[in-house]
Amino acid sequence: MNASRTLRSSLAIVVAGFVCLLAYSAVESVDYAEEQAYSRDLRRVQAATAELNERVLKSRSALMTQYDPLVHALRDLRQLHERLKRVPDFLGASAAVDLRAQLQKSEAQLREKDELVENFKTHNSVLQNSLHYFPILANSVIDRARVAPTGAPVASRIQTLIAAIMLFDTSADAESSARVQAAQLELSAEKQAAHELQLDHELELILAHSRIILERKPIADRIVQQILSVPLPRMARALEEAYSMHHRSATDRALLVRQILFGLALVTVVLGLTDVILRMRRSAQALQSATAELRDANAALAREREKERQLGELKTRFVSMTSHEFRTPLSVILSSTELLENYSERWNAERRMDHLERIRSAARSMDRMLDDILIIGRAEAGMLRPSPAQLNLEEFCRHLVESLEHSSARSHSIRYSFSGDPQVTLDERLLSEVVGNLLSNALKYSPAGSQVHFDVIANDDQCRFEVKDEGIGIPEADIPRLFQSFFRASNADQIKGSGLGLAVVKKALDVQNGTIEVQSSLGNGSQFVVRVPRDLSVSRSSNAEL
Amino acid sequence: MPRHRPVISRDCWLAILLVAHTIVTLLGCEHRQKFDDSEPVESSSFGDQPIEPLPLTVDFDPARAALGEALFAEPKMSGDSKVACTDCHHEGHGLADDKPHSSVSGRPDSAVNSPTMYNVRFLYKLSWGGKFESLESHIDALMVNPKVMASSWELATKQLSEVASYRQKFASVFPDGLTPSNVRLAILDYERSLVTPNAPFDQYLRGDAQAVSPEVKRGYAMFKSYGCSSCHQGVAIGGNLFERIGVLRDFFADRGHFDNADLGRFNVTQRDQDRFVFRVPSLRNVALTAPYFHDGSAATLEAAVTDMANYQLGRDLPERDRSALVAFLRSLTGEYRGQSL
Repeated sequence: MNASRTLRSSLAIVVAGFVCLLAYSAVESVDYAEEQAYSRDLRRVQAATAELNERVLKSRSALMTQYDPLVHALRDLRQLHERLKRVPDFLGASAAVDLRAQLQKSEAQLREKDELVENFKTHNSVLQNSLHYFPILANSVIDRARVAPTGAPVASRIQTLIAAIMLFDTSADAESSARVQAAQLELSAEKQAAHELQLDHELELILAHSRIILERKPIADRIVQQILSVPLPRMARALEEAYSMHHRSATDRALLVRQILFGLALVTVVLGLTDVILRMRRSAQALQSATAELRDANAALAREREKERQLGELKTRFVSMTSHEFRTPLSVILSSTELLENYSERWNAERRMDHLERIRSAARSMDRMLDDILIIGRAEAGMLRPSPAQLNLEEFCRHLVESLEHSSARSHSIRYSFSGDPQVTLDERLLSEVVGNLLSNALKYSPAGSQVHFDVIANDDQCRFEVKDEGIGIPEADIPRLFQSFFRASNADQIKGSGLGLAVVKKALDVQNGTIEVQSSLGNGSQFVVRVPRDLSVSRSSNAEL
Repeated sequence: MPRHRPVISRDCWLAILLVAHTIVTLLGCEHRQKFDDSEPVESSSFGDQPIEPLPLTVDFDPARAALGEALFAEPKMSGDSKVACTDCHHEGHGLADDKPHSSVSGRPDSAVNSPTMYNVRFLYKLSWGGKFESLESHIDALMVNPKVMASSWELATKQLSEVASYRQKFASVFPDGLTPSNVRLAILDYERSLVTPNAPFDQYLRGDAQAVSPEVKRGYAMFKSYGCSSCHQGVAIGGNLFERIGVLRDFFADRGHFDNADLGRFNVTQRDQDRFVFRVPSLRNVALTAPYFHDGSAATLEAAVTDMANYQLGRDLPERDRSALVAFLRSLTGEYRGQSL
């Protein structure tokens, strides 16, 4: 339920983002296609007007011999105006009204211009024809008049008219106009002479063309002036200015809307992304913690398995070692009992006693070994617990030393010293395992006659036992494995032992919160230092508190 | 252990889409600001000649034009179902009338001579007085003119709709079938399709020196030197300005009378300066469209050339020059649908 809700919310964000972006695009798309076409048309009004003016001037000066270009320019202008009436929507209604009002003014100007151009074409075509034909005609008449004996006055009058017309064509002021009129009058006076020369028709034509030039040139020039002064370009400029003003305000508006929409879109995108990132992070965290848990579980499992493996190994070793270690005393017992059975009657008492002693010793060794194994087994099963009691440490140690000296048949001497308060609270049985094993080892691995030092110091809070021998020592490589069950130093092969003693020491010390340190030099002897708390009951309870 | 949902990938895609859309939109609007500012430049490629050849192809809708052609000959277009456009614009006569004044049943004779319909799309204004600015306004006026079609688009459409073949043809050409506006569009497209390119003289202008005889070339030189090309110029060889008939000599004094129709453009503008002023007619296919002038007073091309030289230019043409001019004018007959007219 929670999942679908969050999915819905993120989907809502995404949809909102898309809506914003679509709106953004929509605002965007209103603008350009229309706007560009429109502003281009606006610019073309000016260009087309200039083109029209240029073409009018070209026509006037006979540089252009057809009127199609004029017609086309005007048609273009009309079409532009028609197109411009379709004001782009995005400018808004008031802008459309304003621009259409301007366009109407501009169209009125265009109509005026159209009429003027119309008029211009009518006059200009006739004028250009006369301007073109008049000099050809006049010169041909002069040529014909000159060949006749009485033609000279006519020719000179025509000459005068040509000069007057030429002057008029360039200046067209009142004076040159009067001059043309005078020349026309003078030429008209020569009608009789022309008739005699059979040139009266030509004379009429010369006069007609000169009249056309005199009449139409000012008209054509005036029309050209009017065409050029029609304020269409100014209108176009005003239109363009109005448009650009409206356009600016419209684009400002659009820009604002766009910015808002863009901001919204950005916010939704950021929100969406944040949502995604947060979701991803949450998932990553979940994954991480799951992985960590899995890893821990795996590690625990591995530890468990390792422990199991070690235990199994231990058991295997234990079984193989014990079976091996037990076989020796058992074989002694078996062989001695067999011998006793067969030969006891023949043997003397001493010999029988010897074998009985062997059997007892073997049984005792098995008993000791079983004790050790039991201690180790209980320690490994977590069932070895000290039971502290009041104890005189000095006495305890002295008894131990004496019994050991006794059992070793006094081949070694133990130099025992004690200092400090002998009243301690310790587990006597465990302590005797620790100290006894260390001392018996010291005796066992030392040559006969050598000395073993045993120094005990009972401080305020702990007891320190130091056992130092001058024996064979322990190879350095073997020290780390010294306290493993059935482990025996590589140089101890010649000396009988089960390899359980030091393991028992270690286990017994572990349950008493004690420590053991070993220093050894191969061939020169070893030194074991054991520390246990003075009052085991106190330290145990304090440990429990921790 | 918290539940692990596979929503990451979907969210990722949505986020990527979102960002991509933003980028595309922004890029798009950047792109849209660029535009093509180039525009076609109209220019004459035939030097400083007063005459330009007709374009070899023009744009129009052939299907509509075909429909318009049928309508052009269809009496049902008129209010009384008696008059078709072809009654005055004969197909066998250059789409003009062979009589000075067109005469059709139930209508008064036309006041002026019916001009050709060929190349009307190149004319500047329509009718002798230049009353109409465009083909559209011209046909609209003629349809309702009681002296001409005495009809309306609606009436014509109604009469056409009685004919199954028209209904079918219109349905195949126009999505909305037979409607007044589509009837009008068909007629207009037909009028726009009436172009006669590739006249011998156009071929000559396009560079084929062998397309016309030396007589025609001499006639063209006369056409320019006499001053005919002062008014008859451009792609239609006329049709783009107004001029008074009788510039140098009085046309109507010689004819002996004048009536209202002779006032020409004055009837349109009511300006004194426009009395006896007419649209300079196009000389395209002029050899086919006798009689000539607004009153059809010149029965032959020779007579028309003589009259023009006389009244407009004040000249009496020698026979040699006149025949050259007529030869030139005959070389202006073009091709319609690939066939010489």
